[in-house]
Amino acid sequence: MPRPSKKSRSLRRIHVKTPGGRTTVHYKYRKPKAAKCSCGAVLKGIVRERPYKMKKIAKTKKRPTRPYGGVLCSRCLRKMLVEKARNK
Amino acid sequence: MIEIGRICIKLAGRDAGREAVIVEILDNNYVLIDGNVRRRKCNILHLEPTEKKIDIKKGASHEEVNKEFKKLEITTWETKPKEKAERPRRQRKKKVQESKTEKPEEKKEEKPKKEKQPIDARIVSVTKKKEPAKKAEKK
Repeated sequence: MPRPSKKSRSLRRIHVKTPGGRTTVHYKYRKPKAAKCSCGAVLKGIVRERPYKMKKIAKTKKRPTRPYGGVLCSRCLRKMLVEKARNK
Repeated sequence: MIEIGRICIKLAGRDAGREAVIVEILDNNYVLIDGNVRRRKCNILHLEPTEKKIDIKKGASHEEVNKEFKKLEITTWETKPKEKAERPRRQRKKKVQESKTEKPEEKKEEKPKKEKQPIDARIVSVTKKKEPAKKAEKK
């Protein structure tokens, strides 16, 4: 029987095969949801990790370096810039 | 629309949204750009041409482009070559060497003169002292 605190469904269950050939269950916290653009597209090049792991990662590795990187998808940004250039 | 001197807006990469000028046409698909962006080869698909145009030669330098951009009041940056920093270590070594070379010369000149005189004086003084002492014992 697992510990009562491990029975929470907010924990992810991972089946791990031990060196002895037995499969055991490991419990881990779930990852946050993927970041999305306002158009609904999933943003690429963005790290999905818990805060304690995000701390250790460099800023340049967490999101694209272009302006609005990590906020808008590349297609939306391109549309926005083209509109700006043409309306001027 | 794509010709030398045409001002464009870059759509992709770290310089997206900034003004660039076409400096040279390299290919059907690629051009060389400069201005408020890094001077580099760029795909035409990543540029949005505007109505503005400036007079520059083919392959104009960054400084020439900067002058034209200032007239249009577009921000640019000026490249400055780094000033060479002085090396403090070598200076220190020189100073130490000078001081070392100067000191021993002075000592050599001074020491022999000083030592000779006192030695003579001591011998004289010792001999003088001893003689009267011996005489005293004899008496």
